[in-house]
Amino acid sequence: MAMTRIERRYAWLGLALIGPTVLVFCAVIVFPLVAAIYLSLFRIYTPTLEGAWVGLGNYAELLARGEFWQALRTTLIWTAGTLTLQMLFGIAMALVLHQSLWFRSLARSLVLFPYFVSTVVAVLVWRWLFNDLYGILNHVIMVAGVSDMPLDWLGTMPNAMVSVILVGAWKYFPFVVIAVLARLQTIPEALYEAARIDGAGPVARFFDITLPQLRDVLVVVVMLRAIWDFKEFDLIFLLTGGGPVTATQTLPLVVYKEAFSMNQMGMAAAHAVAMMAVMLVFMIVYIRRTRGGQGA
Amino acid sequence: MTFLGRLAFNLIAWALVLVIAFPLAWMVVTALKPQSELFRRPPGFLPEAPTLDHFRRLLEETPFATYFGNSVILATATTAVVIALATLGAYSLVRFRYRGRESLAFLVLFTYLLPSVVLILPLYLMMVRLGLANTLASLVIAYTTFALPYALWLLRSFMAGVPEDLESAALVDGASRLGAFRDVILPQLVPGIISTALFTFILSWNEYLYALVLVNSDAARPLTTGVMSMLISAFNIEWSLLMAASVMMSLPLIVVFAFLQGYLTRGFGAGAVKG
Repeated sequence: MAMTRIERRYAWLGLALIGPTVLVFCAVIVFPLVAAIYLSLFRIYTPTLEGAWVGLGNYAELLARGEFWQALRTTLIWTAGTLTLQMLFGIAMALVLHQSLWFRSLARSLVLFPYFVSTVVAVLVWRWLFNDLYGILNHVIMVAGVSDMPLDWLGTMPNAMVSVILVGAWKYFPFVVIAVLARLQTIPEALYEAARIDGAGPVARFFDITLPQLRDVLVVVVMLRAIWDFKEFDLIFLLTGGGPVTATQTLPLVVYKEAFSMNQMGMAAAHAVAMMAVMLVFMIVYIRRTRGGQGA
Repeated sequence: MTFLGRLAFNLIAWALVLVIAFPLAWMVVTALKPQSELFRRPPGFLPEAPTLDHFRRLLEETPFATYFGNSVILATATTAVVIALATLGAYSLVRFRYRGRESLAFLVLFTYLLPSVVLILPLYLMMVRLGLANTLASLVIAYTTFALPYALWLLRSFMAGVPEDLESAALVDGASRLGAFRDVILPQLVPGIISTALFTFILSWNEYLYALVLVNSDAARPLTTGVMSMLISAFNIEWSLLMAASVMMSLPLIVVFAFLQGYLTRGFGAGAVKG
C-alpha cells in the first residue's frame, strides 16, 4: 500500500515528535547498557578509571567465586520470601478492601501509603522499631512473654533475613492490593449470584470464581514484583548493608560493593550483566510456562 | 450479613489496617515526643508533652533545609523535562503510523524493568568524564533513565483514552496536526499529565541509589542520601530528629494523599505503579 503525501508527512512529523525521546533513551539507557557489557570485559580501577582488557576473565573469575553463587542464593531466598508474603497479604487485603467497610477510602489510603513512602523513610522507621534497647517491637515481645531477651532483629541470622523479608513485604504488598482491587471491581456480580444459587459457600466462590478471574492479573503482578524484588537495592542496603557479614548480601549489593568499595568497576559490570542474564532466563521460563498453562 | 457479623468484620479489617499503618503513625508520634519520653518504659503512644522542637533543630542546626531545597529542585526539574519529552513522545506513539513504532513501545516496557545498578556504572563514568559529578544536573540526567520510560508508559495509556474523533474533527475543520494537538488533545490530556507528573515527582523525590553514587557533597545532596548521612555521621543516633526528618520528607506525599486523591486513582487506572 503506497503512502499518500499527507501520510508521509504525518509519518515524518511523528518521528520528529518521538525524536527527542529516542535521543535521550539512547544517551541514558541504550548507550549505558551497551557500555556496561563492554566494561565487563575490562579490569578497571574505579578511582583512576584506568583499565586493561581481560576479555571474559571477569566472568571466569566470577563463576569460580563462591561469593557470586552465595549472593545468587540470597537473592533468590529474599525474592521468594518477600514475593510470597506480598502476594498473600496483597490478595487478602484487596479482598477485605473490596467489601463494604466503614471509612473504606481512608482504609485504602492508609494501606497504600507504605508503597509510596520513600525507602529511606521506611528503613529509618523500621530501624527505630527494631531498635534493640528502645524499639517498640522488642518491648512488645517482652511484655507479651514471647522472649525475655530483646531480639537482635538485624544483626544475627536468620533474624536479619526474616526482618528484611518482612519489611519488603510491608513496603511492597500495596502494589498487589492496587492491581487486584482494580480487577476485583470488574468481575461480574452475576457470576457470584449463579454460584450462590448453586449453593457455593464463600470459600468455594473464592476458589471457583475469584481466583480464576484474577489469574491473568496475578500472572503479570508476580512477574513485575519478582523482577523488582530481584533487583531491589535500597531496602536491603539501608536495612542491613548486606550483613551480618554477607548473610543478606544480594546481587545488586555485590555490584555496588565491587564498583565502589572494592573499586573493581569491570568486575562490578560483570556481576551486573550476569545478574541481568539470570533475570532474563527466569523471565523467559516464566512467560513460557504461564502461556502454556493458559489453555488448561 | 447481620449487624454483629458486619461489626466483627469491620473490627478485624480495621485492626489489620492499623497494624499496617502503625510504623508510620509511630514515626509521627516519635517526632513529636521530647527526648525523655522516647526512653520511658512502658512507652506511651501519644506524646504527653508534644513538641515541635525537633523540627526546629532540624531546620536550624542541620543541613536539612539545603537537602530539602535540592530535592525540590531535582524532582521538579526531572518532572518538567520528562513530562515535556514524554507528552510529545506519547502523542507520536499513539497517533502516528511509522515503522519501528511497536518495537519502540516494547523497548519502553523493557527499560521499565531494567535494574539501576546496571546503568549506574556507565552513568557514573559518563558523569565523571563530562565533569558533572556532584551536581544536581547529573542527577536529573540519571533520573530520566527511570522517569522517562515510566512517564511515557503512563501518558501513552492516557493518550489512548482521548477520543480519536476529536482530532479528526479538528483536522477536517482545517487545523494542522500540531494545531489540533495543542487546541484539542492537550486540554483533554491535562488530568493525565497532572497525574503522571505527580507520580514522576514522587519517584524522583524518593530515589536513593543514583544520588548515593553520583553526588558526594552536601551542597548537591538530595534528602534521601542527606538524611541517611545524618544517621551515619551522628555520634549518637537521635531518633526523634530522624523521625522528624522522615515526616518532613513524606510531606509531598501527604499533600498528594490528602488533596489530590483523584489524580492518584486516575494514575492507578493507567498503570502508575512501579517498584
